[in-house]
Amino acid sequence: MKTCLIVDDSRVVRKVAARIVRDLKFEVIEAGDGAEAMRQCRQNMPDAILLDWNMPVMNGLDFLRALRREEDGKHPLVVFCSIENDAEHINEALSSGADEFIMKPFDADILESKFAEVGLV
Amino acid sequence: MQEEVFNELAELALKGSGQAIPKSKSYLIEARLAAIARREGFGTMADLVHCLKSRANPVFAAEVAAALVSKDTWFFRDRDALKRVVEDVLPKRLKASNTGRLKVWCAGGGSGQEAYSLAILLEDELPASLRGAKIDILSTDICKVTTEKARVARYGHYDVQKGLSIHRLVKHFTRLETGQWEASEALRSRISFRQHNLLERADGLGNFDVILCRNVLSGMARSARTEVIDSITKQMMPGGMILLGGGESVIGLTDKLEPARHFRGGWVAAGTANAEASAA
Repeated sequence: MKTCLIVDDSRVVRKVAARIVRDLKFEVIEAGDGAEAMRQCRQNMPDAILLDWNMPVMNGLDFLRALRREEDGKHPLVVFCSIENDAEHINEALSSGADEFIMKPFDADILESKFAEVGLV
Repeated sequence: MQEEVFNELAELALKGSGQAIPKSKSYLIEARLAAIARREGFGTMADLVHCLKSRANPVFAAEVAAALVSKDTWFFRDRDALKRVVEDVLPKRLKASNTGRLKVWCAGGGSGQEAYSLAILLEDELPASLRGAKIDILSTDICKVTTEKARVARYGHYDVQKGLSIHRLVKHFTRLETGQWEASEALRSRISFRQHNLLERADGLGNFDVILCRNVLSGMARSARTEVIDSITKQMMPGGMILLGGGESVIGLTDKLEPARHFRGGWVAAGTANAEASAA
């Protein structure tokens, strides 16, 4: 079973996303900020990461840049998930190594569609 | 919903747009007519039906019938089929053409996602064999509001996230201050839009190399499906193809079409599939 790390400082968003991602047959791991996510990745690199932008301690963009510098950090498919949804922010996420981008709020159809875009489902 | 109210609206849907709405899906009627009911100040569907019967206004009745048609669509719905149209079908049609011009009709094209998806493929993945070809795309829908939405090409947050990759979104669309995303002029200039009821004659639309009539027949009564197939078949150029949605078929509806040999969901003029196969 593939693993998906859901990184978001909102417990509610993590809970909603986890339910959708589990329905897509992923094992779910959760982290509340970028630093915690990095610790999780170093222990066990996931197949997919659903990543919030604005978080305490380490934001999503800093986490993503750091992840892509890790030895095995190019492997996970990263789907950014943010309320920052203007073209400038989207392009910044993509140029930092994101594979897809979800504009919040989202639903199960959108998440599945975006996972399909990058070949996760 | 009261049975007589449902019956009136189901009858209107059948006559006006060929839709067969079963009683078990009466909730669809309420959902699809909610905007009209709100605009006109009807508190209930019974009020709307009363107005339809007492006013005898054919324009309003047609608007209600059009609103009862499903609007459910998304970008790149059945991506593989669209890619094959661009990569296989159109190049073959171009070879057979002596004008260098190809015409595609998205029949029942809704709010334009199918037509824009084709236009995106023509922009991003144009096969060498189509270079220099003039490819006109026409998208039609029964509903005036939906046709206008397609023409304006402004899509909301949810629409642009279904079927469209983020790379294609930022490449082909601009985010407006309203939060909507507007398709580029390059895409819009490839497509023309017209309001058209598929139950009516389509002579005025011209003839087409490829007619996409996808996920339209499945919601229709059998008699309406026959009418639609007869009508669109008349608009297919010799050697052209009609493409239906997954699970849709014309078997039992017409003897003028047969399945295309190398294209699942494709239908060509009866007696020509073998010729098509040998030309492939």
